[in-house]
Amino acid sequence: MNNYEKAATGAVALMLVAAGAIFLYAPTDALQGPVQRIFYLHVSSAIAAFASFAVVLVGGIVYLWRESAAADRLARAGALVGVVFTTVTLVMGMLWAKPVWGVFWTWDARLTSTLVLWIIYAGYLLVRRLAEPGRQAARFAAVVGIFGFIDVPIVYFSVTWWRTFHPGPVIVTDALPAAMLGTFLLTMACTLVLGATMIAVRYRIEALLDARERVSEPGVVVKARGAEMGTEPVP
Amino acid sequence: MNPVRVALAVARKDLRSEWRTRELVPALAQFIVLALVIANFGFQIDPHNAPSIAPGILWLALVFAGLVAFGRAFAAEREQATLEAMLMTPASPVALFAGKALASAALLVLCEAVMLPALALFFGTQVSGEVVAAVLLATIGMAALGCLFAAMVARIRARELLLPLLTLPLWIPFIVAGGQAVQSAMGLGGGYDEAIGLLIDLDILFVVLTSLAARFVLDE
Amino acid sequence: MSILVANGLTQWYGSDPALEGVDLVMDSGEHLAVLGENGAGKTTLLRILATAARPTSGQLEILGLDAFRERARLRRRIGFVAHSPGLYPALTATENLEFFCDLYGVSRSRAAETLEMVGLREVAHRRAARLSRGMQQRLAIARAVLHDPRLLVLDEPDASLGSDAGDLLAGIMAGRTVILATHDHALASRLCPRSLVLRHGRSAGTPTRLHVVK
Repeated sequence: MNNYEKAATGAVALMLVAAGAIFLYAPTDALQGPVQRIFYLHVSSAIAAFASFAVVLVGGIVYLWRESAAADRLARAGALVGVVFTTVTLVMGMLWAKPVWGVFWTWDARLTSTLVLWIIYAGYLLVRRLAEPGRQAARFAAVVGIFGFIDVPIVYFSVTWWRTFHPGPVIVTDALPAAMLGTFLLTMACTLVLGATMIAVRYRIEALLDARERVSEPGVVVKARGAEMGTEPVP
Repeated sequence: MNPVRVALAVARKDLRSEWRTRELVPALAQFIVLALVIANFGFQIDPHNAPSIAPGILWLALVFAGLVAFGRAFAAEREQATLEAMLMTPASPVALFAGKALASAALLVLCEAVMLPALALFFGTQVSGEVVAAVLLATIGMAALGCLFAAMVARIRARELLLPLLTLPLWIPFIVAGGQAVQSAMGLGGGYDEAIGLLIDLDILFVVLTSLAARFVLDE
Repeated sequence: MSILVANGLTQWYGSDPALEGVDLVMDSGEHLAVLGENGAGKTTLLRILATAARPTSGQLEILGLDAFRERARLRRRIGFVAHSPGLYPALTATENLEFFCDLYGVSRSRAAETLEMVGLREVAHRRAARLSRGMQQRLAIARAVLHDPRLLVLDEPDASLGSDAGDLLAGIMAGRTVILATHDHALASRLCPRSLVLRHGRSAGTPTRLHVVK
């Protein structure tokens, strides 16, 4: 088993520990019933998603500043992992919402911002895929990632502000009793470890893909290949 | 050649081209009027619900018209290989970007000048100076963002798909604030001053950010 | 002093090598022809030398400046005629040039001067869309010299020009360092004492070879 496989196994094991805590240790919520247990993973996923997109932000800024291919790779890895976590967050949120509120969706600030987040980074991935590989894709994606990260809190704020004129359903989160809080913190920690592992693995994959594609790295001198190829000299 | 002169030269060139060919504005104006007509049938508008539906239609039409207007600002340059010719000059990319944003904003404002009276005419809503102010303020920020991503998308494939996908999430705060402002100005609900304040803040923020980003998007 | 020093210019598009390890040194006032079949990499090389594109790897120094970091400063001194003319169809010839005068920061009188140089004075007020392909080509050439550049890079400028291409180009090229890509070997040998031949390999493994002929 190489290091990546070991790390992945460790991360999955931690998630199983968290699952154990969620189902066996945490008490059942009095109001919402067993459905409430989704909350631990749902919120942890959301936090992992934001952390991943923060990685994209930093990677993008460093790339624009220094044209570091490593920073760009990190951003790419972060974006993919972040979109996965955001999808998980949205799906879990909907699974939770139906039994608890009776609807799958509501346009409150949090859901709206999470959806916008998903759309922005799906756009990021598309731009990466469709632009010219190398410098152009890296630069454009960095700009999208930076604008996207700044946009989400602004969307959250504007929807919250808008809701003061158009009130809608409110998510009530009371203070958590100690056992629930403990479970939540454990789950969050395990999820973050999982996220970091996923980013590390993806980074490695991107590095291998780059090497195969000979992506633009400015300033690197490549020797003329004539001698090794053994072609006859031009008369 | 200071940047302001460059920006004005670019804007003047775009507006002059549009004036000579008259392609964009008539098409957009027609589109907007058509959108209003369809909205009437889609929403079954009557004098009672008109003031609550009209702001939504205004922003919907504006968003689609904006996507077309800003998309075309750079698409045409790309086709004519003129974008590269401009970038080969010493003119700063930010100045070039500012000129294009100015020109496409001006064209969109022309369309708004058609849309707002049409809105008042068809739906009987008040179109006061307050409504105009809100729409104009939102146009500034939307133009800056729309042109930035249009410049990006002009160099990539699948641009009709990508431009809305990238731009709309960033336009949402403008639509939320602008929508509230217009609704308030039409007599429903409050918060006009706050909404305008929010629009101004957003304009300042995004004009600065897009200016900073322009050189990464435009230059090779 | 060498006006241009290129080292190991390499351009990859995905896994396709368009240029591999091209070296070049040019002195002030030299005229160099770049020859080769379609697909040999002429346009790719010219765009890199004109600082319109960046290579995958390699180094380029123009007028003593790093061409990748100092592009803004170099733009004043380089003129480029690209493969397509890049003109605004709705504007007249004069308006097209005056617009670029504004971007280059030179006096608008240069527009009339360069129009005269390329023999387009009679169509100065005709819209670019209504100019023939050859006239558009001339207009693009006029634009490339508005700011009196020291280095002129021309990508197949003779393609639509017709029989007096040689005289026109000779006039434009006088006193400047010029890189000229063309298919016309006779024109190349008339205008340029030096040439560089690019040859594209048949299989994916054969690299582009560099060959400089005196």
